Parts: sequence; C-alpha cells; structure tokens
Amino acid sequence: MGIEVKNLVKSFDENVVIDHLSFSVNRGETLAIIGFSGSGKSTVLKLICGLIPKDSGEIITSGDIAMVFQYSALIDSLNVYDNIAFALHERKDLRKKYTEPQIKSIVREKLALVGLAGIENKFPSELSGGMQKRVSFARAIVTEPDIILYDEPTAGLDPMSSTLIENYIVRLKEQTNAASIVVTHQMSTITRTADQVLMLYGGKCVFFGTPEELCRQDTPYTKQFVSASLEGPMKLNN
Amino acid sequence: MSALTFRGTVTYLIYRQLAKSFVSLVSTIGDIVQYGLYTLKYLFSGGVKRKELLDQCARFGVSSLPITLSIVGMSVVIVAMQVAGEMVKQGAGNFVGMLIAILVVREDGIIMSGFAIISMIGSSLASELATMRVTEQIDAIEVLKVNPIEYLFVPRVLSGILMMPPVLVVSSLVGIVGGGIASHLASGLSYKAYFDSVWNGLYMKDMNVALLKAVVFGFTIALISCTCGYTATGGARGVGQATTKAVVWSFMAMVVWDLIFALIFFF
Ligand SMILES: Nc1ncnc2c1ncn2[C@@H]1O[C@H](COP(=O)(O)OP(=O)(O)O)[C@@H](O)[C@H]1O
Ligand SMILES: [Mg+2]
Repeated sequence: MGIEVKNLVKSFDENVVIDHLSFSVNRGETLAIIGFSGSGKSTVLKLICGLIPKDSGEIITSGDIAMVFQYSALIDSLNVYDNIAFALHERKDLRKKYTEPQIKSIVREKLALVGLAGIENKFPSELSGGMQKRVSFARAIVTEPDIILYDEPTAGLDPMSSTLIENYIVRLKEQTNAASIVVTHQMSTITRTADQVLMLYGGKCVFFGTPEELCRQDTPYTKQFVSASLEGPMKLNN
Repeated sequence: MSALTFRGTVTYLIYRQLAKSFVSLVSTIGDIVQYGLYTLKYLFSGGVKRKELLDQCARFGVSSLPITLSIVGMSVVIVAMQVAGEMVKQGAGNFVGMLIAILVVREDGIIMSGFAIISMIGSSLASELATMRVTEQIDAIEVLKVNPIEYLFVPRVLSGILMMPPVLVVSSLVGIVGGGIASHLASGLSYKAYFDSVWNGLYMKDMNVALLKAVVFGFTIALISCTCGYTATGGARGVGQATTKAVVWSFMAMVVWDLIFALIFFF
C-alpha cells in the first residue's frame, strides 16, 4: 500500500478546490494526475505531503514522502552538495545517522543516478532549468522515500530534456519501488511514465483509466483533453 | 435602509476597509508573537549550527558596520557642530562632552543604529525569506521534514541578539569621538575639555539600559523581519510588500520599545 485518498475535500475560502476525491496508488505504481491549470492538481500533492491541511476526508500514506517541486525549489544559498545532503544534515532523526564521508558517497551516488556527476560545488543559479530539476530529484530521493510526488516535472523543458526527466521517473520507480504521483498536462509524460491516469475537473475525478484508455478518447472529457479543444464539457477559469 | 443597499454605500466600504486593516493588524501581531515563541523554544531546546550562526552574525554585525557607523557618526557630528559653538559662547563649553555622551548613550546611539540595521539587515532578512517562500524553498524544507523555524529563524534571531550590543558600542564610540572632533573644529573646544566632560555624562545605569535595549531591539528587528518574510504570499510583488512591512513594523516596534524603556527606567 502506498497512498490511499478517500473523500478528500479542500476549499480556500468559498472556493471548493478538491471535492470528495478518492483514489489509491500502490507501491511500484505511477499515477498521473492531469487537468487544466487551476484544476487543483498541485493542491492534491500539497495535501498528501502535509503542506496544507485538509478540510475532511482521509489520506493514508505509508513511509517517507518526497516531493519534486514544479520550479525545483532548490535552496539558492546552498550549493548542490548541501542541497542534496540537506535532509541528512538537518533532519532531526537523520542528523547523527551518517558520517560526512558516508553522506559524500550518498550524494555522489544520487547525482550519478540523475546523470550529473561532479557538480557538487555549483550553486543552483549556475545550472540550467533541466539540471536544477534533476538536482531536485536527487535531493528528493536521498532519504529513500516510499512515496514520490512530482509537480509538473517536465513543464517548461525542451522535448529532449523532458524525455530525460521521464526516463528518470521510470528508473526511480523501478529502483525504489515507490508509489509515485506525476502531475502533468504533457501527453509524452503521461504515456511514458504513468500506469494509471486521473483527470481532475472542478475538484472531482472525471476520468480514471490507463494511458491507452485516455488516448482512445471515448468520453467527452478525454476527447477534449487529448485534442486540447476549447469545445467540450470543461471550461477554463471555471 | 435594507442590508443590501447599505452594502453599496461609501460608509460600508470605509468600515469594511477599516475592519480588514484591523484584522490584518491583529493577525500580524499574532504571527510575530507566535513565531517569537517558537523561536525562543527552539533556541533553548535545540542546538544551533555554529557555521550558520557565524554567517548570520557576520551579516548582521559586520556587513552593516559602514552604514551604522556613518549614520550614528553623522547624526552626532551634526548635533555637535550646531550646539558646541553656542555653548562655548555662553560659557558652557565644559558641558559639551557631557551633553553629547548623554545624547548618544540614552537615545541617539541605539535609535540611529536601529534605523541603520532595519534598513540594511531587516529588509534583507525579510526579502530573503519572502523569496524562499514564494519560490517554494520553504515548502521544500518542510517536505524534507526539517523545521523551517529552527532552520531559518533561530540563527537569524540569535545573531540579532548577539550582534546588536557590539554594533551599538562601536557606533556609540565613533559617535562620541566624532562629536569631539566636530566640536573642536566648529568652536575650537579643546579635546581635553571635551573628553573630561564626556566622563561626567557616562552613567553606568544609562549604559546598562542601552545594552539591554540593544538586545531587545536586535531580537525584535530580526524576529519581525523574519516573520514578515516567512508569511509572504504571491510573487515578486509579495516579496516587495513583505520587505516594506518588515521595515515599517520594525520601526514602529522600535519606537514603542523605546517609549516603554523610557517609562520604566527614566521616570
Ligand atoms: N493557498 C491558496 N489560497 C487560495 N487559493 C488557492 C491557494 N492555492 C491554490 N488555490 C486555488 O486553488 C485552485 C487550484 O490551484 P492549484 O492546485 O495550484 O491548481 P493546478 O496545480 O491544477 O494548476 C486555484 O483556483 C487556485 O487559485
Ligand atoms: Mg500546479
């Protein structure tokens, strides 16, 4: 069991953003959450990792949760090494667990995993967007999490960088057997990484199925999403 | 008049704005108190990393010195220039040093250092934390299960407590010496007469109160600036608003503290 969400509700003031949402993700499985901007995708992730409180419903998770933020969110006063080692240096229960040489080898291993060996001393501002994103992957998996949440991991990247990131998402899932959620609205990311797809609209699930079922476009919602049409049941800025 | 029509009137809009301002005033005070208590709790319960603390102390106490010294020094020099000539003419030349010493130790030193520290350090703490907030760096810290108050507030607030007294001492010394030079140049008052008189103006109680004020002001400025940054919302604009808020609130808090100190110790 990785993540189980039951009847989740969240509103900001009068605005009901998540409306009785239920789904589950098993270990070793990746769920893509799709939907237009403002449909509440990031809110779901923030609820799961506890950054914002829920109004009602249940969120059951097992083990450590890691999150890869949309804009990487690397700490810009720390270099790559200290960013990746952050949890090992600062987290209460991990602070004394490793010696510095051990941390060094963990950081080196995670950096190699995302194809960025040897950039430990660079600062985030010296890296390209794609490299920052990969460093933030390395930072997220340094604690060997059981759940990994990705917020639009490929948004704003060129197609080749996107493919690279998608490959890392798949590789991380295989290596860690984590339960993953990928928030995205990019078709390539859905088809390359997801086992299941959940489409959010108005805080509710309007489609749940495999990427193949999504691409079949046999519901009004999937048809509108895949063809990126303005005509259909979903309106922007609802 | 029905409720519906009242909602459209100017009076209603004014009341609503006032009510909103009051709520935000109370919630800001609530935030400052709450984060202040958290900070004190972690300050006494957990450790603080020496390197991080040293970095923050260098930022608070050393990088601010050129500005603090200029502001305190210049304000004293200006007063001395204007007062010394007149006092010497009236035969009160022997009291110039005493007057300057009392002025610097009781008010000018701490208030002017406070202004300098707020504009330089307070604004930079607030904009730093606000930027970390709006770029989700603080969220990232939380998701990595590190307490952001412990990680961000504790070393910054502690550096304020530790560094404000030395900043005050150095800038007050520079002010008093500067006052002597200005008096000498403006009125021909001898250095010996000036510094002999300074001794008569230095009261132990004044100096102790000044150091206590420095500790309290350093704590308050750092805490308010961190809180305003930490609670920022929105993008670049939110960072700007947080910085302005930090500066304004720090000034207000400093003046209120100063009044409280004056009431407690000098009445
Ligand atoms: N902290 C917040 N306060 C108020 N409203 C919010 C907040 N966070 C998100 N929202 C609102 O919730 C809705 C969903 O936002 P979000 O989850 O970021 O959407 P998505 O990630 O799908 O683009 C939006 O209408 C947004 O305005
Ligand atoms: Mg989002």
